[in-house]
Amino acid sequence: MGFEFSLGVFPVIMFFIGYYGLITSKKVITSVIFISLMEMSGIMFFLLLGYRVGMIPPIAPVGDAGFLTYNMEYIADPFPQALMITAIIIGIAVTAINLSMLITLCKQSKTSNWSELKKLYSEGDF
Amino acid sequence: MINILLIFWIISAIFIIREKKIYRMIIFLGIFSLINSAIFLVLGAPDVSLSEAAAGAFTTIFLIICLEKYYGFDESLVVTKKKEKTNFIKALLPIIFSGVLFLLFWYFMPPFTYNSYMKYQYLTYFNQDVGSHNPVTTVYLGYRVYDTLFEALILLVSVVAVKHVSWYSDSYVKDGEHSTIESNPIASYTIRAISPLVLLFGISMISVGLDTPGGGFQGGVVIASFFICRYMIYNVYDIPVKLITLIEKLIFVSIFLIPIFVVFVGLRTLVPETNLVVFQNIYIVLMNSLIGMKVTCGFVILFYRYIVVDRRTC
Repeated sequence: MGFEFSLGVFPVIMFFIGYYGLITSKKVITSVIFISLMEMSGIMFFLLLGYRVGMIPPIAPVGDAGFLTYNMEYIADPFPQALMITAIIIGIAVTAINLSMLITLCKQSKTSNWSELKKLYSEGDF
Repeated sequence: MINILLIFWIISAIFIIREKKIYRMIIFLGIFSLINSAIFLVLGAPDVSLSEAAAGAFTTIFLIICLEKYYGFDESLVVTKKKEKTNFIKALLPIIFSGVLFLLFWYFMPPFTYNSYMKYQYLTYFNQDVGSHNPVTTVYLGYRVYDTLFEALILLVSVVAVKHVSWYSDSYVKDGEHSTIESNPIASYTIRAISPLVLLFGISMISVGLDTPGGGFQGGVVIASFFICRYMIYNVYDIPVKLITLIEKLIFVSIFLIPIFVVFVGLRTLVPETNLVVFQNIYIVLMNSLIGMKVTCGFVILFYRYIVVDRRTC
């Protein structure tokens, strides 16, 4: 607790930059971009966990049986990395669904402004 | 090093926020994803770095195609409006709101330390359990293969969703029809020379995933970009979408069945102890190539669904 500086502050800053963009965005496509920013902050938070200066990637040399002779404190954790690879690929799929919904929305309502869409929705046209 | 890169990361995001033109915003998003990729490399995650480099390129392509397609529909992009007077307090309010939320989050954030015994367990036993030299591949194909399975399911669901949402009956381009957008000859010949290398790079990235950074997800995205190159050379819509969807579903079923066989029956009961490492390596390469084919099919369908309606045809 308290305002302690650590590397974990940077992804939190990024999350709230994305949040600020989301509440001030006027077009639907910018909202899609800011959602992907917020998602990237989460991925960065997971990968920064347990980081130490001078960490090496978890790739064992061919011929060794794993990392048994290494100091395991300075080898990066493979578990969050394996989860975040799938998270990045899912991120593209989520962006693709958002954009295809956006194209259909623009074709039907001829606009992509949030305020005009709200007006259309309150009038009951859309 | 990592602090400087993270500060650049924040600055590139502020550039995205402050930009008014959407095309420039998308280019800044590409720069943002490049910095991301560099940070992942410094953090000791080359697999994630490769994945992010490919994913950033794909996101940029999707956004630009989407913008080109809805440019004709959206009147507010074409017609310039009068500049509205922005109230100073009204513009300041969102900054104050999100800043206060950030400070609250920072104050109540638990100590940023992390000590996982799982890490030591994985790093000690991964070689004798699954027989690879890349623990990341071992985790997502060995210990946590059902997470990978549900990721593949989410990709399949998103492909089906995009296929159904983006369906227009009146403006459907038939198979074998050429695009109305003219292709640039210089770009076309350059891509024609490069594209076999892209395909080889993707295949090698899948096959080396056993021992070095790489694997099914990254190689699949690179091979999908080969099909984008193919569209840019010939400018023709001739991908059999129904057949590729069927192939994707069949690959999904085999991704479901092979781990069940390997996990519940067990390789140790089937093969002799002397040949165990060979069969473990075959399992890893087979699963990597299945995942690579599945990701390729998914992204090819997504890309061709986006370009199926040209801006000028509708």
